[in-house]
Amino acid sequence: MQDILTGPMIWLSLSVFVFGMLARIIFYIRGLDWKLDRVAYRAHPKAGMKGAARSIIYWLLPFATKSWRKQPVMTVVFFMFHLGAILVPLFLLAHNMILKEMFDLSFPVTLHMCLADLLSWGVIISGIVLILRRISLPEVRILTTTYDYFILFLALAPFVTGLFVRYELGDYQFWYTMHLLSGALFLLLAPFTKLSHIVLFFMSRTQLGMDFGIKRGGMKEGASMAW
Amino acid sequence: MFKKILFATSATPAGDHAARVAFELASRFDAHVCIFHVLGVPSRGFSQTVVDVRTGENVVLDDDYKSWVKEEIQTYYENQLKDHQASDVSVNVGFPHREILRYARENKPDLIVLGGSTDENDDSVYKRHIAGTTIQRITKSAPCPVLIVSRPAASFWGGISSIVFGTDFSKASDVSFQYAYKIASSINDGELHMFHAVDISNIHSSLAMSQDKIEETLRMARNKMRSKYVSHLNGFKNYSIDVWEGLPYVEIVKYAREKQADLIIMSHQAKEVDEDNARLGSNMEQVIMRATCPVISINRHTSGLAE
Amino acid sequence: MSEETLCNRQPIQTEESLKRLLKDSGGAQYYKEMQSLDVDQELLWSTIQKTCKSRIRTWLEICAHCGMCAESCFLYLINDRDPTQVPAYKIQSTLGEIIKRKGKVDNDFMHMAMRTAWAKCTCCNRCGLYCPNGIDMGIMMGYLRGLLYAQGFVPWEMKIGAGMHRVYHAQMDVTNEDFVETCEWMAEEYEEDYVGLHFPVDKENADILYTINAREVKHYPEDLAEAAILFHIAGEDWTITSEGWEQTSLAMFAGDWEACKIQVESVYDAMERLKPKRMIGTECGHAHRATVIEGPYWAGRENGLPPVKCMHYVEWVAEALREGKLSIDPEKRIKEPVTLQDSCNYVRNHGLKKITREIMSYMVEPGYFIDMSPNEEHNYCCGGGGGFNGIGLYRKERNQALITKRDQILKTGAKLVIAPCHNCWDAIRDLEEEYKIGIRWSFLKPLLLKMVKVPEHMKPKD
Repeated sequence: MQDILTGPMIWLSLSVFVFGMLARIIFYIRGLDWKLDRVAYRAHPKAGMKGAARSIIYWLLPFATKSWRKQPVMTVVFFMFHLGAILVPLFLLAHNMILKEMFDLSFPVTLHMCLADLLSWGVIISGIVLILRRISLPEVRILTTTYDYFILFLALAPFVTGLFVRYELGDYQFWYTMHLLSGALFLLLAPFTKLSHIVLFFMSRTQLGMDFGIKRGGMKEGASMAW
Repeated sequence: MFKKILFATSATPAGDHAARVAFELASRFDAHVCIFHVLGVPSRGFSQTVVDVRTGENVVLDDDYKSWVKEEIQTYYENQLKDHQASDVSVNVGFPHREILRYARENKPDLIVLGGSTDENDDSVYKRHIAGTTIQRITKSAPCPVLIVSRPAASFWGGISSIVFGTDFSKASDVSFQYAYKIASSINDGELHMFHAVDISNIHSSLAMSQDKIEETLRMARNKMRSKYVSHLNGFKNYSIDVWEGLPYVEIVKYAREKQADLIIMSHQAKEVDEDNARLGSNMEQVIMRATCPVISINRHTSGLAE
Repeated sequence: MSEETLCNRQPIQTEESLKRLLKDSGGAQYYKEMQSLDVDQELLWSTIQKTCKSRIRTWLEICAHCGMCAESCFLYLINDRDPTQVPAYKIQSTLGEIIKRKGKVDNDFMHMAMRTAWAKCTCCNRCGLYCPNGIDMGIMMGYLRGLLYAQGFVPWEMKIGAGMHRVYHAQMDVTNEDFVETCEWMAEEYEEDYVGLHFPVDKENADILYTINAREVKHYPEDLAEAAILFHIAGEDWTITSEGWEQTSLAMFAGDWEACKIQVESVYDAMERLKPKRMIGTECGHAHRATVIEGPYWAGRENGLPPVKCMHYVEWVAEALREGKLSIDPEKRIKEPVTLQDSCNYVRNHGLKKITREIMSYMVEPGYFIDMSPNEEHNYCCGGGGGFNGIGLYRKERNQALITKRDQILKTGAKLVIAPCHNCWDAIRDLEEEYKIGIRWSFLKPLLLKMVKVPEHMKPKD
């Protein structure tokens, strides 16, 4: 079992992830329609790019938009979660070793063990807060479905199992297998679930940025959207 | 001279005295009376709802409602309409001053009769942003003379015999004079009393104006009236001239009272309708509010009578 | 549904059917018929398949259900944080649901959707500013309105409004003759006070083509006069057009995209016919949004721009003040606490936040202008946008919505609210009528007229 999980499964899950996400991007762009969307995407490329850039950059920086500032707790939780969720899978030493072994790829930096621990615990804590949010806040509860919990599970499972492995708690083999499985599951399902927001966040923000950049003020002096 | 009279009414008791005057004049001058009522003010943005001016309620405007209101008005003025056949009733929706002016523009009456201002008591919100009262707006822009009966005491019960003409020597006053003269000379035993008030209401000017100066101004005004007006009287004998000093509207009201005036005719001078002074009003409005008889206001738009 | 009914899927195309619908006071019969209106599920789904693509589909799919949009929505806040007012919920439970069910929804559902689309959203687009994923629920609500309109589930006044544009190319039954005549009338009424005042009609190659709101013709032509006087004082080479003069679009609120196209094309035709250097509209927010921002797309213009450069009235005023074409007498500036309403349609949705404040810097004595909070593109809807002001069925909800703006105004302590937008102006009037907080409100034009210096040659002689 482990041979499969450490061999072909990694190939499969990474391929599905990469090509799946690529497909999502392509389908998204192909499905844009200047007339239906009422945004002249092609006609004003510079304004469009500027709007898109602002739309993405401001939102990638904690507290850089009014919205982030209005919800400070959520902002902290959001960034703590995503920081770990992105950096750890990519730059963990153990992951890099596998990458090197399988694809002869490696990143120039890897995370220091302490940092990786910190980030991972950050993911767990913020994950818990996110779950608590869903349960306790009425405006979130009304939106929450089982599917949302499933997504959280998909995203958290690799971290939970990963920490079990890292601290060598319980049955090492079991947790290692679970970690491989949950990681594979994450990668395989990402393009087909809400996890596609990994790329679609950028698509959607680009689209809205172009909308505001071209149509809703961006082409006027001093009228760019103050996110 | 008045062949078509536009009587703009709220169709409530507040306008009864004005109604009486309107129909009285109509029978005297054998005129057609157009009763016009603005039934509501548009509300709810672009929707079909209006605020009915009499009930203050939101109603949905449609043909049925308009017909119903028309009938109500015909019933209200049943007696007058019975005695005076030459008349019609129309209703419309909008801001009263605007719709009355619109009606006047389309139908070209010779005289507009307005009742007392309900504006002071009416605190409704749509008034808040309209500079000036309905009376102010209409007297400023009407294409013909406007007769205002502001309170019951200001209507006449008998006939018209004593006419007071107040002048400020403007072009509009020249037109007012024509009207005053025409009316006075067309009625039996008509009297025309011509009056000018020298304004010393400004504290500083009265201190600065010596008594000699005041009397000289009075003299000059009297001479001016003789040359401007008396020379056009064509043998009409029943007239008098007076010039008093003081706060103009007070003097005019006092003068009219002394001469037992049945009608005051004045020119409308205000260039703008000043929101801030809306409550205080100009001389014209003060006279309108305080006189014990109807007041006819003639503005710069009104053309002179054909000789 | 037969042709004889008032409530059906056919748009109002003739004066006769318009009058028939108008006769139905308050839409009593209309709404009764709506109770048994069928849903054309095939049409619904095929429309969605044709017109609902990446942008909206993705928005609906990647909504993280995070609830961050809740606090951005004034209707959520003013309705005691009712969870069913969360923007994401509002759109997911309607449009999201229709798509999930592939159009298989029933009459009850459509009633709920209609209520959500017109009573629980003014399409102010504020939520789009607060969503991390960049999901603009206001845009989706607009799309939903389009679906509902095509199915006949649209409020009575909206159906009438769209019909008005189809029949008269204006939001009310005002003809081209009415418009030109009223302008002539206004010139007559005011020319004594402003020597030389007149309305150039159909002048070609003028600097400015001025378009208006039909309500000005019908109910307060003073606004037309004021606009003409200000252009006159500023020495502008301007004109009105005898056809294609209406800038507003109730059709946009109604979701009648075809009527939207008809309406803006009538204005673009005028632009192409008269070839002005630019077009300036009256003080109206949604008119600007419909004709200048969204309009080009309905008219199929690939660059997303109208035939000539278009400006909102506030842009012209700012320019005139900046360049000295209009010059304000400092003695006559506003010297009482005054605040400014940010109209969603040209502030949030066209960035003109600094322009209006520039105007304030000329018109208001320093120290007297108090900005609302939040302000600029983050300001709240007046409470009456998106057609809310005019829909009788949802008057209660609209009046509730006004409380947000009321409280914002109260917090500023202002006695005067400047609202260069017809809808906002109406909403603020209504809020004063309803809640009596003792404020006055005004467009820019009458205020400007009280304080600008009139050139000598324009002053009356005597």
